[in-house]
Amino acid sequence: MSLLKSRDSKAFSYLYDNYSGSLYTIIVQLVDDLEIANDVLQEVFINIWRKIESYDPVKGRLFTWMLNIARNASIDTLRSRSFQNAQKNQPLQENSDWPDGGKLTSVNSVNFDNIGLKKVIERLKKEHRVLIDLAYFKGYTHEEISQIEDIPLGTVKTRIRNALMQLREYLK
Amino acid sequence: MNIKEYISSGIIESYVFGLASSEEKTEFERLAAEHPELREARNAFERLLEEQLQLNIVTPPAFIKSKFLSSIDLEENKTAPSFSGGKGSIPPVIVGTSDNRNDGYAIGKAMVIRKDFSRFMAAAAVILLLMSTALNFYFFNRYKEYNDKYQALIATQTDLATHNQILQTRLLEYEKTVEMMKDPAMYIVKMPAIATSPDPLSATTIYWDTRTKDVYLAVNRLPTPESGKQYQLWAMVDGKPVDAGVFDLKDGAGMTKMKNIQKAEAFAITLEKRGGSPTPSFDKLYVMGKV
Repeated sequence: MSLLKSRDSKAFSYLYDNYSGSLYTIIVQLVDDLEIANDVLQEVFINIWRKIESYDPVKGRLFTWMLNIARNASIDTLRSRSFQNAQKNQPLQENSDWPDGGKLTSVNSVNFDNIGLKKVIERLKKEHRVLIDLAYFKGYTHEEISQIEDIPLGTVKTRIRNALMQLREYLK
Repeated sequence: MNIKEYISSGIIESYVFGLASSEEKTEFERLAAEHPELREARNAFERLLEEQLQLNIVTPPAFIKSKFLSSIDLEENKTAPSFSGGKGSIPPVIVGTSDNRNDGYAIGKAMVIRKDFSRFMAAAAVILLLMSTALNFYFFNRYKEYNDKYQALIATQTDLATHNQILQTRLLEYEKTVEMMKDPAMYIVKMPAIATSPDPLSATTIYWDTRTKDVYLAVNRLPTPESGKQYQLWAMVDGKPVDAGVFDLKDGAGMTKMKNIQKAEAFAITLEKRGGSPTPSFDKLYVMGKV
């Protein structure tokens, strides 16, 4: 840990070797595009390197901290305007206006739903799954979800809590 | 607050997944500091999550690692002078972005900088591409122009070479002619026009090699024959005409090698049908010369 804090590049190389795979997996699942995921992963590790000073072991494990950096970076990327526009222009993969019949999206967008967190979430009840997807994968606040799904805020909170506890059981 | 109930309320998962609100986070951190069992439970869930997320992973492309390592090298060198003041101090880049609003903010900023840079790079690339295209076009035109000129030169050169060859051939002919005329072993028979010749200005000359008995003919002047006709040389041997070959008029003073004649009293030229006749047509006798 002290090696990381002193920004030892060997320590970061080790960190990368051990965690790039799991972080990349979650990033890919979040941004749903391998090329964007490559950029985000690089960005995430640079940020880990820059912000390592602010990591507080009292508040949680290093992996949790890095996972949250990866998630936030992915959601920021998803929300950045250019990316939103790109998504609007190719709403579904069956967009036949594209010269290759919409295959453009499927080149980078690979289905990784059968591994990691996504796989576990797939096992949730639909009402739980939808909320986790909006909250964790899309990054909406509880209030936003309440509006989108037209469910009372209290219900959103309860359902998310229940979903998360269910998730924990599935993780075991 | 019953900490056991709190632990099983889903707050741990919320907190670890980063889904807790800021009030919930503050409360959780305060309680975690007070209750070791809460820290223990959080830690257990974190471990579980970490273990599970390390299974079945997608391996990122290898180039990202080297890009990451080289960019931290670069940044290390860039920021090194500015925080020589203290070992534990945070470089300026981070101070400004140290967050209340979770880690997303600094990342967003980094992304923006990166995006600007990539925009700049894209613009630079486009400009370079345009320049390169323009240069390509320019050089292609130049190439075409020079290629045309080159082709023209080749053509001229070929013409000149052909012409030169013609001249050379002709020169050789002249040289040979001069050689023969100078050769003392050559017996010269002058063949002027006869009284009844169709062309009174006709004249030819025979060069007869006394060693080999080869006969060479030089035409001084003969009218151009009508088509289908050819001049024929005759050697008068013991009063009888012997065919010595047909010939065409040609440019210059070149000599035409005729048939080998061992002996003759005279030579004569008549105009015959193309290819020659077995006997001469004496009404078309142009020139004659006695040996």
